[in-house]
Amino acid sequence: MTSWSRNAWLLSGLTLLAFVLGFTVVGRFEPDSPRLGTWAAFCRSLGFTADRGAATEPQPTPRTPTTVAWTRETLAEVAAGDATRGAFIALNCTACHGEEGVSGSDLAPTLAGADAAALYKELADYRSGKRLWGVMNGVAKALSERDCADVAAYFATRQHGLQPITGILAPQAGRSLRQSDPASRLVYAGDPSRGIAPCAVCHGPSGYKVGAPALLRQRTAYIERQTAAFAQGERQNDIDEQMRTVAAQLTAQEMHAVAVFYGGYGLPDTVP
Amino acid sequence: MLRTDRLALCHFWVAFGLFLPAVVLGAWQMLMRSPLPAPLDDSNLYYASVTLHGTVMAYVLTTFFAMGFGYAVAVTSLGRPLRGIAAAWIGFAICVIGTLMAAATVIAGRATVLYTFYPPLLASAWFYCGVTLLVGGSMIWVVLMIVNMAAWKRANPGAPVPLALFAVTASACLWAWTASGVTAELLGVILPAAFGMTTQIDAGLARTLFSVTLHAIVYFWLMPAYIAFYTLLPQAAGGRLYSDKVARLVFIMFLVFSLPVGMHHLFADPEHGVGFKFLQAFFTFFVVLPTLMTVFSICASLEIAGRIRGGRGLFGWIGALPWREPMVLAGGLSLLMLGLGGFGGLINMSYAMNSMIHNTSWVTAHFHLIFGGTVVIMYFAIAYEMWPRLTGKPLCSKNLARWQLWLWFWGMLITTIPWHVAGLMGQPRRVASFDYGIPVVARTAPWVDASVLGGAILLISAILLIVVLVRSHFGARTADSPLRYALAVHPPLRVPAALNGFALWNVLVLVLVVAAYGYPIGQFFFVLKPHSTPAYEVTRSALPSDP
Repeated sequence: MTSWSRNAWLLSGLTLLAFVLGFTVVGRFEPDSPRLGTWAAFCRSLGFTADRGAATEPQPTPRTPTTVAWTRETLAEVAAGDATRGAFIALNCTACHGEEGVSGSDLAPTLAGADAAALYKELADYRSGKRLWGVMNGVAKALSERDCADVAAYFATRQHGLQPITGILAPQAGRSLRQSDPASRLVYAGDPSRGIAPCAVCHGPSGYKVGAPALLRQRTAYIERQTAAFAQGERQNDIDEQMRTVAAQLTAQEMHAVAVFYGGYGLPDTVP
Repeated sequence: MLRTDRLALCHFWVAFGLFLPAVVLGAWQMLMRSPLPAPLDDSNLYYASVTLHGTVMAYVLTTFFAMGFGYAVAVTSLGRPLRGIAAAWIGFAICVIGTLMAAATVIAGRATVLYTFYPPLLASAWFYCGVTLLVGGSMIWVVLMIVNMAAWKRANPGAPVPLALFAVTASACLWAWTASGVTAELLGVILPAAFGMTTQIDAGLARTLFSVTLHAIVYFWLMPAYIAFYTLLPQAAGGRLYSDKVARLVFIMFLVFSLPVGMHHLFADPEHGVGFKFLQAFFTFFVVLPTLMTVFSICASLEIAGRIRGGRGLFGWIGALPWREPMVLAGGLSLLMLGLGGFGGLINMSYAMNSMIHNTSWVTAHFHLIFGGTVVIMYFAIAYEMWPRLTGKPLCSKNLARWQLWLWFWGMLITTIPWHVAGLMGQPRRVASFDYGIPVVARTAPWVDASVLGGAILLISAILLIVVLVRSHFGARTADSPLRYALAVHPPLRVPAALNGFALWNVLVLVLVVAAYGYPIGQFFFVLKPHSTPAYEVTRSALPSDP
């Protein structure tokens, strides 16, 4: 039994050693940072880093791309949108965005069938001036937050406009980097050499991300113009700068090809 | 006893019946990642396929196999009928329903979240419910193993529990502890979001809870292989087990050391400080102890067998072993792969070296070699050993079985060694398709092509496995061939209470888990409070405002 207790002591000693090493020695050193004292090293070992506490130095005012964050409260507000009430507000939209939000003009996007969260965010950005487009800022400022949620809910339930993202797609060959058609390749596989993620993972047809607009059957010219606006930095209301990063690397031909792909998605004379 | 045979056989058939399609998916995934032309090259399909492949291999194959094996061992090692056979069938049914729910959801394209879930990715609730049922159903097995061992101990006071049952119960206890992490993650973090009760997920908390499961589950997978090493392999080789006591100690050490180590999967995680990462990396090295003890014991047991069979000299006993026996052959090949994979594992768990291979294909290659190789080849050997016992019919062809094992061995090496190399070249894991037009990616092309070939060999081997099992199952019935477990050189007459039960060790596990995970999990509630991100639904059925 002595060998048992000896082993138990040995293991306990090793465990203690691991604690001492982990919480006083390992945390003490870090590349490109000064050597810490014991207490500071202990704190770092627990995961407390300088940027986790309150900032001690005055920070410049952050420049945020949008005032919308997808918190529980925001999503609850979007979900609470009342489509019936929204229908009344939407009468103001018809002149540009078409009957029931199906646009007949290249200047205005189709809103019917759009994602409610994405519509809500764009309206909020117009209200706060984070996205600028002449008449829309004035229109949006006349709406309350509740109005935005309601009108978003209304357009989200309209038919005959954008195709809603179902997230489900029968598998099909050619949706990988082997694809030679540049539009399909960008949409389904992106371009890893330029750090471009596939469009489809956020904008459909296969993927959805909260706040990203569905683009299936959107007006081609509208998509192309918005992509160019992101590329040139005119439009800056993408929360994580993903659209500015991606669009800045696309050629004009690629922007056009992708816009044509989405604009004509599922229509008989195009290849999706 | 016959009823238990059918019970165990049903478990094995579910395990292997789903194993074959999962290998087909794996072989296709290899092709998809390669520069070679692949049918249905759709990136979404790739992730759905990875999800199904991973879920079947990691949860379904292993859990059903461990349960079936446990029931068979309980009956054969104790020599008396299983207690609670009705409960066992209920557990089986729950697990099958869970499996079908999860698999159907993935096939329907609503759960491409891989088997580790990766919150804030969010799949359909059906998938998570299916996995929860599978894990929950297997808890019936855990309880039954403990009940059967306790009942035997009551009937035989003071006698040492047969090693095979002792080890299976260790495995059951380990599974209960292991599953606690993923169960807490599913019930506490993921399901509320999947059911729409909340829109936010605390991804850091979910990752940390999963890490409780993520490494210990590997040892749960490994357990049947190790049990076969200690109780079946020496017998098949015609020898004796080197030491019963060492075997008990090894299973206890696996139970104790497996849990407080999972954070070595979170070395790059920003939510945790270096202290607990280092601590758990340090603890991970403890697991090397039972592994080395096993390699020593099994080599010693095989040497005893080799010398009994007339082997002479320093290495002559190796040639004298009955390599034509599938169990012996699989044991040898398994130990070879354990050696290769084990050293790779040492790199993964080392705090500093890990950063070289983190998130590269090295990691995928490693766990395929150690799990798909070392562990699963022993599952095959156990099946070959158990089939005559369970069906009452002899194995249709030992020759075919040997072919199958050799093909699996070479297939696994040809798949995983180039895969390791591609990882060292910087190839990232979890990527559906690579652009081989980029020079830095093009360098990996020949290695990936080699892996594709390995994948094809593995597929042939998996088909052979099913052929052997089906043909044996429907063969002519012969006299019963009872399963014999290896006797130790010095069969134990009495063992210390600590080596005959798990109460003490479960308390120790609790202490270690609290020490290792108390703060890392607790900080999400007390230190980092507002910490959630919106769940990212990977598949979407309806707009939130639909009436």
